Amino acid sequence: MGRLSQDTVIAILLLLISGGLMLASFDIREPDYGQLSPATWPRVVVGVLGFLSFLYLIQSLRGAGTPASVDVPKSGDGTASSGQDVEPAGVAGFFGYWRNVIWCFSLFLLYLLTMPYIGMLIGGVSFAFLLLNALGGWQPRQLLLHAVIAIVAVGGMWALFTFGLRVPLPTGMILPRF
Amino acid sequence: MVAENLALAFAGIAAFDTLALMIVGVGAGLLAGSIPGFTIAMAVVLTLPFTFSMDPAQGLATMIAVLVGGLSGGLMSGILTGIPGTPSSVATTFDGFPMARRGEPGFALGLGVWSSFCGGTLSAIMLVLFAPQLARVGLEFQPWDFFMLVMFALTVTASLAGENMIKGLIAGAIGLLVRTVGEDQAVGVGRFDFGIDPLLGGFDFIAVLIGVFAFSQLLSDIRDPKSARESLSERGNVRIKIEHLRAIKAIAKRWTTMVRSALIGMFTGILPGAGGSIANILAYDQAKKASKTPEKFGKGEPEGVIAPETSNNAVEGGALTPLMALGIPGDVTAAIMLGALLIHDVVPGPTFIAEEPVLAYSIFIAFFVANFIMLGMQSMMLRVFVLVTKIRMYMLAAVILSLASIGVFALHNSTFDIWTLFWFGILGFFMRQFGFPLAPMILGVVLGNVAELNLSRALAISTDLSPFVTRPWSLFFLTIAIFSAAFPYFQNARVAGAGWTKFYLPAVRIAVTLPFVMMGGVIRPMIGAVCFLIGCFLVFRRLKDAGAPADSAV
Repeated sequence: MGRLSQDTVIAILLLLISGGLMLASFDIREPDYGQLSPATWPRVVVGVLGFLSFLYLIQSLRGAGTPASVDVPKSGDGTASSGQDVEPAGVAGFFGYWRNVIWCFSLFLLYLLTMPYIGMLIGGVSFAFLLLNALGGWQPRQLLLHAVIAIVAVGGMWALFTFGLRVPLPTGMILPRF
Repeated sequence: MVAENLALAFAGIAAFDTLALMIVGVGAGLLAGSIPGFTIAMAVVLTLPFTFSMDPAQGLATMIAVLVGGLSGGLMSGILTGIPGTPSSVATTFDGFPMARRGEPGFALGLGVWSSFCGGTLSAIMLVLFAPQLARVGLEFQPWDFFMLVMFALTVTASLAGENMIKGLIAGAIGLLVRTVGEDQAVGVGRFDFGIDPLLGGFDFIAVLIGVFAFSQLLSDIRDPKSARESLSERGNVRIKIEHLRAIKAIAKRWTTMVRSALIGMFTGILPGAGGSIANILAYDQAKKASKTPEKFGKGEPEGVIAPETSNNAVEGGALTPLMALGIPGDVTAAIMLGALLIHDVVPGPTFIAEEPVLAYSIFIAFFVANFIMLGMQSMMLRVFVLVTKIRMYMLAAVILSLASIGVFALHNSTFDIWTLFWFGILGFFMRQFGFPLAPMILGVVLGNVAELNLSRALAISTDLSPFVTRPWSLFFLTIAIFSAAFPYFQNARVAGAGWTKFYLPAVRIAVTLPFVMMGGVIRPMIGAVCFLIGCFLVFRRLKDAGAPADSAV
């Protein structure tokens, strides 16, 4: 996907989202009291977002937008700066390039989905351990190091919140104590 | 009364447990700051869940300690390894690293440490002096003015935060939109909940902040498998002694650079969206321009360390000033501080200092004390900072993601907040990838309620919309919002050599005249008149300059 078309696609997506939200704003109940209807402000914001998205679309079609980057060195304001590496073509290239990010998202999603069953302590330690291995490697020495890091960091934090700050963290159905 | 409040605040901060927490906070901030990829905002936002069980003053003191530590931590890795720990210390490496390489690391570190201390202390003084004055001005604000102030904060953030103004504004609008989800504040009607019950409560903005900022940052940092597994520095053991006395003498000799850089930092901090990452470069640039030996910059010039380190530490005093005086955060970290205050049911605004004097003074004192703690700890923990740069980024990311989920859950004992963290982490990550700045979005999330509430109040008072342009403060903010929105175009056009750009800055001065005159009294119309005269003079001079080449050509 070329840079120009990437901006255009995002602009169209934003326009569609704005349109959808504008329609959804008509489902907001309008009470008979109060000066400002609960739907007014969301509609103003969605309207502004739609207008800006339209400007962004025009800008992208004219090729005036700043190119989106593929790599993000850290930046204080959170903006991406131009990267030097380029995403390889093809499905394999895509998965290779975004491997770590996909691991992160997938494991975090798994952690969230399994939390009601295994609880936050076991889930958190497992998540940290699996993510450390996925990102750092699966060699035996690393496995040991990663296990120690996961248990000490997550277990320590869990203990601090549970016993120190008296925050009841989610427990699982399988092992209700944890 | 003031003395009594001050004494109470001091007693709170000087309490053993608060001081201990501040020491831990400064240490954590210094460590976080010294790790490249770990931003100060991330460190402060991750500290927030730990402060829930503390009283407001203690919690804020801890967060301020992390903030002050973080602002200074970046210089260690920047000087010793050439890799800036935070974006705020990028310019420090320009001269700090060459100085260390030529055999003067102790002197470079001394300059950095003492410049940070001076910058932080000067900005703390400014915070104490200016915040109450600004709060007094803020008492004049009515809902129309507050609404326009928020609009101004968003436009200026959008114009400063990225290269593309439209993307910045879209990010700001997304932030405002996020805040509209859930029950309406005024009448309690659900909005954009799509029948999902947890959405009725809206997104917790701390979970959104951690997701958008910390989660997405970590994902970006570990994207490249190779760099995620590498140590940031292989330098394990250093035996360096910070040359304090020599550094103090050098800074005293170059006090003008220090004061100028502190002023740049404070001013940049007050501007919403412009933080240490801009201030350190600006101060470095100004120091180089003002120097008699600019050719020495980049080769280990002391002023090249003094300027960025003073300015980046001075930023936060500036950023906290509008927060404490008006309830409008000057940057992302100040926005997180606002979150911390709101968690403790303290709503900052023009009456904050008058109504919560002990808490306000506690913030002032904590800011001072944190700078002294930072000074001591930087000297003691030098070897630890260098060891910290050996940590591999993937380890940091995995651990922080797990810890963030626990911290976020503790906000309301709700797993929905962890889901919020997850979804907004994805959103933030894609926004980064596609070049959308995150600062306007965060400000939009933080200020969305303020904007809606004040718009609602304004319309409850009168359905007439004219006060938005007839009230002096509202008109003032509207005027500068328009000019700040046009600022990126002005910059681009100036580079391209467009003729109209010569009149942009004079036009700003002339345009703000009217609101100043409308404010009444004596001083403000005089300020307006001075602005008008300067603007006219500049227009006249530029017209004359524009005519000169034509004359000579003839």
